[in-house]
Amino acid sequence: MTTLIDRYVFTALRRVPEKQRADIDRELRAAIDDAVEARVAGGEPHQAATENALLELGDPERLADGYAGGPRYLIGPELFGIWRRLLVFLFSVVLPIVVVVAVVLKVLDDAAIGPIIGTAVSTVITTGAHLAFWSTAIFAVLERTGVARTDLRGGPWTLDHLPRYEPGSLTAGQLVPTVLWPVLLIVALILQQFTFSTVPALDPANWSFWWPFLIAVLLGECAYAVWVFRRATWTHAVTAINAVLAVLFAAPIIWLASTDRFFNPEFVAGIDWGSADPLSWLGGIVIAIAAVGAIWDIVEVAVRAERARRGIPAEAPGTVLRGCA
Amino acid sequence: MVFGMTMDATLASHLQELRRGTGVVASLTVQRTPGYGYSLLETLSAAGFEVEANTLYPLLRRLETQGLLTSSWNTDDARPRKFYRTTEQGDAIAAALRTEWTRLDHAVTDLDGPSADHPSTTSGSPA
Repeated sequence: MTTLIDRYVFTALRRVPEKQRADIDRELRAAIDDAVEARVAGGEPHQAATENALLELGDPERLADGYAGGPRYLIGPELFGIWRRLLVFLFSVVLPIVVVVAVVLKVLDDAAIGPIIGTAVSTVITTGAHLAFWSTAIFAVLERTGVARTDLRGGPWTLDHLPRYEPGSLTAGQLVPTVLWPVLLIVALILQQFTFSTVPALDPANWSFWWPFLIAVLLGECAYAVWVFRRATWTHAVTAINAVLAVLFAAPIIWLASTDRFFNPEFVAGIDWGSADPLSWLGGIVIAIAAVGAIWDIVEVAVRAERARRGIPAEAPGTVLRGCA
Repeated sequence: MVFGMTMDATLASHLQELRRGTGVVASLTVQRTPGYGYSLLETLSAAGFEVEANTLYPLLRRLETQGLLTSSWNTDDARPRKFYRTTEQGDAIAAALRTEWTRLDHAVTDLDGPSADHPSTTSGSPA
């Protein structure tokens, strides 16, 4: 039969490596016996003395933590900030791209609206789980192999690592996606005509004017991003130009979609979504994305410019300006 | 009431932070005379140290792996006990820690003392 002390010692030693177990077992029992003896000498009955000695020693899991050594956490404070920044980036940039690509491929596959929504949802869940799991697993390994923050940064901290909080100034990290998005859209616009599917998804009739016009506006967006980056401040002129570009891009798309001239009729005719009318669905989605995107863009830049005018510092990407408290 | 409880919890956590390293200094200092876990615990609590058994016993093993303590089993008594003794290196580290403790004690006392003791603050601005 196992005694109370046996049960306590076994619990405390569960996580101790085999090699050290016998030694700690013996030492811990001696210490418990000493404590019991002292209590019995003080007048307590033996059973009560044993119980109180163990109670005083406390939760055996805590003792096990002490003996086991090593970190009792997955990611420590040293790497937590970098891990969180990576996750935010993965979920805000990589995940949307993957989902959009998956949905576009599904649409081009002539799927019905149900499977398309299903694809979107399952891609969010599976890709999100993979992104979170693997990045966390890698950081847990880094934590245990003693990789420090300076190793990840590639050297000790210097003043050059300080983010620039000048209101509205665009960092190099922000410049890349702002230039990359228009370029990707131009590439997608051209490629859909020739490669993705046998029948182009968008109305080829618009190559006479509207598609080249949109490409020109997108190139304007690229030039605008570089201009803002080199200017390093955002003013009302920036707000105005940004708003004009946003309207020039969104308005034709909304107008084309609402007059059923956005999608290739031949492509739409090839889609079978059962009872749902593909044209009204696709048109609605395009109008919604174009309108919300344009409004978001205009408001965001206007707010930034206003903050810049008032001299309120802006948050640099990847930092939390005002702390978590 | 809630305020009082949070104050207690805050104080407790700060006290814990402040006491964190004292177990090491005390153990290395006491174990210059060889002793076993329970005897050290008794000595420390009699001396007024708030060290708990479940942190002290793992600490002794950690100090041993760091080479600051050595241990040997003493089987002379009816109950075999593991005796720890401070090594030369452990003694040197304990001495350095005690020096630091004394320095901090002086520094805190100076900060807490009357401001007249601080020429830097009194000779500051004439306004």
